Formats: sequence, structure tokens, C-alpha cells
Amino acid sequence: MKEASIGVRPAVAGRRRRRVNWMEPMAGYLLTLPALVYILVLVGYPFFLSLYFSVNHVFIGGEYRGFAGVSNYTGLLDNPIFQRAFWNTLGFTFTSEIAKAVLGIGLAFLLLQPLFGKKIVRAFLMLPFTLPFALSLLGWQWMFDPEFSVINYLFGHQLHLLHQPYPDWLGDPFWSWLAILIVNIWRGFPFAGVIILAGLTSIPGDLLDAAKVDGAGFFRTWHYVITPIIAPVLFIGLIYDVTFTLGDLTAVYRLTQGGPGYSTETLPMQAWQVGIVGGNLGLGSAITLFLFPLLFVGVIVFLRMLYRREAL
Amino acid sequence: MSAVAAAAIRRPRRPGRRKITNRTLLYLALVFYLAIAVFPLYWMFMAAFKEDVDLIDPGVSPFWFKRPLSLAHFDVLFRHTNFLTWYSNTYVIAAAVLVITLLICVPGAYALARLRMPGGEHFAIGLFLTYLIPPTLLFLPMSQIISGGLGLGNNKWALVLVYPTFTVPFCLWLMLGFFKRVPFEIEEAAQVDGCNRWQAVLHVVLPVSVPGILTTAIFAFTLAMQDFVYALTFTSSSSQQPLNVGIPASLIRGDIYFWGELMAAALLAGVPVAILYNFFLDYFVEGITGGALKN
Repeated sequence: MKEASIGVRPAVAGRRRRRVNWMEPMAGYLLTLPALVYILVLVGYPFFLSLYFSVNHVFIGGEYRGFAGVSNYTGLLDNPIFQRAFWNTLGFTFTSEIAKAVLGIGLAFLLLQPLFGKKIVRAFLMLPFTLPFALSLLGWQWMFDPEFSVINYLFGHQLHLLHQPYPDWLGDPFWSWLAILIVNIWRGFPFAGVIILAGLTSIPGDLLDAAKVDGAGFFRTWHYVITPIIAPVLFIGLIYDVTFTLGDLTAVYRLTQGGPGYSTETLPMQAWQVGIVGGNLGLGSAITLFLFPLLFVGVIVFLRMLYRREAL
Repeated sequence: MSAVAAAAIRRPRRPGRRKITNRTLLYLALVFYLAIAVFPLYWMFMAAFKEDVDLIDPGVSPFWFKRPLSLAHFDVLFRHTNFLTWYSNTYVIAAAVLVITLLICVPGAYALARLRMPGGEHFAIGLFLTYLIPPTLLFLPMSQIISGGLGLGNNKWALVLVYPTFTVPFCLWLMLGFFKRVPFEIEEAAQVDGCNRWQAVLHVVLPVSVPGILTTAIFAFTLAMQDFVYALTFTSSSSQQPLNVGIPASLIRGDIYFWGELMAAALLAGVPVAILYNFFLDYFVEGITGGALKN
């Protein structure tokens, strides 16, 4: 069955019998027009506006102070705060994706097992992902409180894994970095889990049986049978999550505002500070556009994969 | 039953002791995951229902109640903050976004799934790619369009206009899948019975697709309640803010955090969204992976 593949029309025999006329494409275009217009006006236009802003000196309120060329971009490359934000953004994303993958694999295998009250259990396990991040972060802020941090109480006072002086989670460069990382992982691992699970459940059982009959052990089965089948799913899930993590303002805005100093500054945070707080839309747009090449790599790889599959 | 699970069950039976160890390990892993996932929520729950003295009293176990449960924080929330305004803002915005999303997506998805049109595939793929443009890339120019061009600065209706930028691609994609699954035969049968194409769509295809359309609708609704960046950018006064922004904006005053009220508000606002989202999580996963799974 082809219905799940992208953009490919199902090859239903009945369709070929129908008379082709020009009414059908016309109606089709007319019906997709609202979607097309909406996307062009509210995604396409702002995107090009942001390109335009980034090569001009534009400020909030429409104030225009001349053409900037690439000076917004080149200025950023020499800016230590920007460098910090850039590497932090990459660092948070890269590290958290690895941790999410590891936790996600465990979670997926757990959810494959017959469990008592599985639906309820799954609902609880999914809470980090299903709760609005902006709200669950308020809970984390309370858990990271400098005086009443329950994490310090639990791991320091009760389990003696942390020692006095207990970490000042949101006030110390190292611990606040870790705090941002932790909330990102916490929010994303259930998603990783269900995506991996979706991949695993799509593997036909007879393939696994065949591998077993042929004498493949767990690791060989994993490497030669499971991985190739689930790779596309994992890849899409990964792109989706990377997009979210790279572009996420919520965690840093709520917990540290990029501080202390600029130790947890990220590109979205800096774009917010420069563009909205500082009113410099040109420079702010240039900052956000540094995200684009990172996302674009993912898009290209994704498209290549897609078209290769269609060709099969 | 999933294929892998079935394979796991078919594994040759070993004597009891090993089985018991496996079960124990399984449940240990489960407890580990549950603790990570649920603890922050439990902690919010504690703070919401404890009296303020209990929160900071070092002689009290932080993990349980000493004094009886208190509703004082909820009382403050309802009587001295705009909590109900934020709540209604959130739901009004989400409902309006739902309507716009459906008006755009139902015809679009039907056309892309059913009608022969050159370039349709490219449009569908292009649409999928707009998933990958995060709000962060758009919020600065958007702020200019919204407050400069349209005069919608500090207005919740700006959010109604903006949220479909992420609900439309997602829902169109999901609905495309639903429409493709309606067999062509029933549409043709209706035409044989004397309906024209539009009557067939109206009387046969749409009614059959109602579950799919509903799913997508509720999905758009929950997506609209998750946003933070746009709400932060476009609403500044309490009367216009949705929950995600209104709660912290009013209950964190400078260095003073009203922890009990914050946690009470976050729970009341977040748990319904989480429950709703959970029902539709499988569709969400399908919407994301649908393009990659070819079976």
C-alpha cells in the first residue's frame, strides 16, 4: 500500500477509467489556493522580510537607517556573545539529542513489553512532552530554586551524592548549562521514545523470524535488519526534534535569560534580546538566519532520501 | 500486536527464575522512567496544595504534607489574578485557530489527496518542509508585520492570525493521509447512483472522513495551546495574554516568585492540555513519520 508515502497518488485502477478533463486540476488548484496563499503570506513573506532585514539597518517601529550589506553578519562573527550563543545552541542540541536517543531507545523497548495498565502508564511517561513546555518549566524553576532546590535536597541532603556547597543551579555557569540541558532532555525523551517505537513496530515480524532462522544474533539483527528499516523514521523524528531544540527560546528564557553572564546564551535568546528588547530587527534577523543553514542541511538530506525512496 | 513484541513473546520459554529476574528488571526500568517523567509534576502538585509556611519550613518533609491540604493558592489565583481571563484567552485563541485551520485544510487536503493536478506532489512536499521553519526564524519580521503593518500589536487576535502558520502544514499533512484512506469506490458508487462529484464529496466522502477531520481539529487546538514565543512577542498586557505567558508575567514580580500560585496555575492550565494531547499523540507521531513509513 502506498497511501502513506509522500505525495504519491495511490495507483487505483478505477481512476484511470475516468475521463480526464481540465476541470479537475482547476478545481484542485482552487481548493488548495487558501492554503497556498496562507503559507506564502505568513511563512514565505516573513521569511523573505527577515532576509531583507538582515542586510539592512532596520529597527522596531519601521525605522530604517540604510543598507547594511553583509555587515550585520560579519559583525556577528567577531562578536564574542554571538560566538558563545552559536556554540551553546549547537552544544545543547547535539548533547541533548544523544541523551534523548539513549533514553528513547530504552523507553521504546519498555513500551514494547506487555505492561499492566499500559495506556495509563504511557500517558504518565509522555507528560514531559504533552505538557506545554512554558508551564512545566515553571516547575523546573522551582526545583532549581537557589534556596529550596528539591534536587539538592534529594541528591545532597538525602543521598549524599552532591556536597556542600550545593549547586546554585541557575546562578552558576556550569550548573545552569547543565540545567538547560536537563530540561531539554526531559522534554524530548518521550518523543524520541514514541518515534523509535513507531519505527520498531513497523518491522514485519517475518523479517525478524527470517533473521533468527539464518542464525543472526541480537546485534546482527539490530544492525542488518532493524536499523535499515527504522532509519528513515528515526531521521524524520530527529529532524523534527532538532528543529525544535535549535529554535527553542522557552527553556533559556524561562530559566536563565542566557545568564549568568552569557554562559547559557543561545541564538534564539540573543535574537530576542537584540531584536525585541534592543529593537534592532536587522541584527536580530541576521542572528536567527544563522539557524537556517543548520536546518537546511537536514532538509536537503531529507529530500534526497525521500526522492530516492520514491524511485524504488 | 506489534511485530517485535510478538517476536519477544515467541522467544522459547526458560525456567521461572530468569523470567522473574526479567520482570523485576522491567519494572525497575519502568519506575526509573516514571520517576523522571512524573517527578516535576508531583513537585508542582506539592507546592500548589501546601500552605506557604510548609513550603519553606526545614522541619517538614518536602515530599509529603504536614499540615492539611490547602486551597489558598487557588483562591488567590481565582480572586486576585486574571487567571480566568488568560484561560478564556487561551481557549478562544485555540478555537479560532481550529476554525481557520479547518477552513483551509479540508478543501486543500481533499484536493491534494484526490484530484489529479500537476505540481500537487511538489506542493505537498513543500508543505512538509515548512514544518522545518521554526517560529524563531519568523518572530522578528512577524512582529513588524503584526504591530507595524496590521496594527495588531498587543492583541490576542494577532495570535489567531499567526498560529495557523504551524497548524496548517501539520494538519493539511495529517488530513491528506485520512482522505487517501477513503476508498475511491464509494465516491464512484455515489456518482454511479446519480450524484455529481461535489454531491459525492459532500454526502459520502466528508461524512466518512469525520473522525479524521475531528482528530486534526483537536490537534490544531492543542498545538495552539503549546506556543510560547509568539505569545511572548505579541501580547504584553495581561488582558490579552494566554496562559503560557500570563501566568509567569503576573506571578513573578521582579525577584519575588509566588511559587504556590505559580504551580497551581501551571497545573490547572497544563494538565488538560496534556490529557488532550495524549489522546492524539499517535496521530501526531503518524503525522511526523507518515512520510517515512511505506507500509
